[in-house]
Amino acid sequence: MILRWTRFWKSCVCNHDIAVKVTGVLGKLLVCRSQNRSFQPSRNYHKITVDLLKNEAVQMYIRRVRDEYEVVTCTLQNANLSDSDRRQFHQKRVELLPVVNAFTCAEDAAKNLQEVESFLQSTTAGSTQDEQMVELLREEQAELTGKLEDLHKELIQTLVPLDEHDNSNVILEVASGRTTGGDICQQFTREIFDMYEGFASYKDWDFDVLNYTPADYGGLHHAAVRVSGEAVYRWLKFEGGTHRVQRIPEVGLSSRMQRIHTGTMAVIVLPQPSEVDIQIDPKDLRIDTFRSKGPGGQSVNTTDSAVRIVHLPTGTVAECQQGRSQLQNKDKAMRVLKARLYQSIMGKQTEERDTARKQQVGTRAQAERIRSYNFSQDRVTDHRIGYMTRDIKEFMRGGEQLEELISALLEHSDQEALLELVQSSHLLRRETDPGSDH
Amino acid sequence: MVFRLKSLVRFIHSRISVTTRKVSTTCGEQGKVIPPISARFTVEQALSQWAERFQVAEVPEPQLSSQYIISHVLGHKTLNHLERRGLTQVLSHAHVERIWRLCNKRLTRMPVQYVIEEWDFRDITLKMKPPVFIPRPETEELVSLVLADLEVLAASRDMDTVRFLEVGCGSGAISLSLLHSLKQIRGVALDQSAQAVALTRENAQSLGLLDRLKVSQVDVFKDADWLVETCSPVEVLVSNPPYLFTEDLDSLEPEVRRFEDRAALDGGKQGHCVIDQILALAPRLLTEKGRVYLEVDPRHPDIIQTRLKERVLGLEYVKTHYDFTNSPPCQELPFGDYTHRPGSAPG
Repeated sequence: MILRWTRFWKSCVCNHDIAVKVTGVLGKLLVCRSQNRSFQPSRNYHKITVDLLKNEAVQMYIRRVRDEYEVVTCTLQNANLSDSDRRQFHQKRVELLPVVNAFTCAEDAAKNLQEVESFLQSTTAGSTQDEQMVELLREEQAELTGKLEDLHKELIQTLVPLDEHDNSNVILEVASGRTTGGDICQQFTREIFDMYEGFASYKDWDFDVLNYTPADYGGLHHAAVRVSGEAVYRWLKFEGGTHRVQRIPEVGLSSRMQRIHTGTMAVIVLPQPSEVDIQIDPKDLRIDTFRSKGPGGQSVNTTDSAVRIVHLPTGTVAECQQGRSQLQNKDKAMRVLKARLYQSIMGKQTEERDTARKQQVGTRAQAERIRSYNFSQDRVTDHRIGYMTRDIKEFMRGGEQLEELISALLEHSDQEALLELVQSSHLLRRETDPGSDH
Repeated sequence: MVFRLKSLVRFIHSRISVTTRKVSTTCGEQGKVIPPISARFTVEQALSQWAERFQVAEVPEPQLSSQYIISHVLGHKTLNHLERRGLTQVLSHAHVERIWRLCNKRLTRMPVQYVIEEWDFRDITLKMKPPVFIPRPETEELVSLVLADLEVLAASRDMDTVRFLEVGCGSGAISLSLLHSLKQIRGVALDQSAQAVALTRENAQSLGLLDRLKVSQVDVFKDADWLVETCSPVEVLVSNPPYLFTEDLDSLEPEVRRFEDRAALDGGKQGHCVIDQILALAPRLLTEKGRVYLEVDPRHPDIIQTRLKERVLGLEYVKTHYDFTNSPPCQELPFGDYTHRPGSAPG
């Protein structure tokens, strides 16, 4: 328990700019606010499936945290404690404090808001309308709702374990599948690539192409890009996996026969490490360029600036041929290499963590066949949460619709993580303290 | 059955049109290739046609040449920005005209950098003009080396007073990337060629760096005294001097041999003629802890080291760096790095 809280607290402290949506009584208030200010589409909030904070298990969990906190505080006030015990209890209190604080603040704010609202109602309902008063109250209401939203974010953050990479930049790769009718896969891969490019511009992220291998007829074999900006990994981590397309080809025999083809492509999302995260010994690298094949320097003039780096101990390869400057290509290839090495290191860590703790959000990030794009029925389905949306063309522009789907995935994952946490703590309690649940 | 027949006909039809197009453009096997008047080209078709044409004419790097030239005509540096949407777009008449004009230049073995009149060096884009020497990728690393040392220096002293001198600036690649990366330092760039001096000045102007760079036409052999008087002292003396052996010059590829300034390549009988002159002048040009950075031939470091020991030049050998490819010794390209030995400078 102590360990877990320490970890949550740590992860919470470093992630403040992440929006978490809240439901229930609070959710309604949020809807109210967003309608008032109209800077966020209110329908984002209607989709929430589980009433997260109102959920009984979650409430019980919070209650239990509060109870435990009170017990610990009481015990600490007791003078007859050994030093080691005192230290232990103190430690525990520090760990529980953030949740209790967040919850108490949120409760207070909700109460205040309710008061203001009921007062506002009585003022507007009255026969003599004091317009100045109403305006003041409205202002107060808006301010309090804003505060409440922040407090709820904080509360959820103290509860849900956040992915430590959420704020990382990302290396995004797309690769076409090798199923029958390669054309359709490659075409689809290009469209998916365009979709993420659109999404990056929608999100105001930088979209830096590292590698782009086109196929015939305007298709795409493989591409790697570096996406950087705010909370990129958080928004893209659930995009990793196999995407499937069903459509009637635009040209060829099948087009005239109206035959539906199925193809796949894969998206790989790697959080990009910062420079300090990974150290590579230059001796472990083999760097291939045009001139490693022959003499260089003043005696030759080449425009071949492609660079390929091999990390010898692991056999990991990264290449870049995007720019005209060889040095810049080398820097980019190095970035990709580092991301790949980092991923393999992290993969091991996640695996270890996974067996120990099931509630890690990260483990659900890269699933098999995650989404289908059915062009003939104009429909996109995400298989993980059964989310379905129409207007595939608009969806593949990578704007609001994609954002909505990812929001739903994020909410789903937050909810699941919280519920799993609640359940596992429940089980843990039963095991360690069988008497308490009678 | 009806379907199948129809499609077969269409299939044959499309094949025929492709073959005719190929025939119409591959005629005129020798000499200038003129674009067929009636044909409409997509970017993709133009790319593959010219790659093929270069291949047939045995122009080196046919694919890349075709890609760079066509991207340039379409206003891009590489195909990346274009590939996603533009490969299937039909080229306008003006674009076709320009692509064919530039690609014909490439057929004469003119380097791509001269054909499109620009190239990238590190993070800057420079104008290229024949016969001014085209900077090579190895030199990008020489600049990295200088920058790394200057950054260390920046920690201990005010960068406003740091000055460097480049001998043989060509298009200005080294000087301008130093100035571009370090916003406070100033420098002097020299070249014996009027064309090089003009090009460096032009590049400095377009990069907005001319206020911190003095460019002069100076011959390090003839104007040595003037040079020492006006330029010293400097913290850094950097150069990519001509270091090829005279006897090797005639066996170079046509791109280098026919188009680039011989004076920027020819380093004398053993290739270290200009290197010697720079090292001889260095003690008079450098400050107490100043350094010389040179790009040299793989055979030169040993010669230079023994020379430094034999004759007291007032210089101390520091290190030879090899470029990052780690290729076999005979192909390595070392950068000499020599420090001024304090207190022993001859008068």
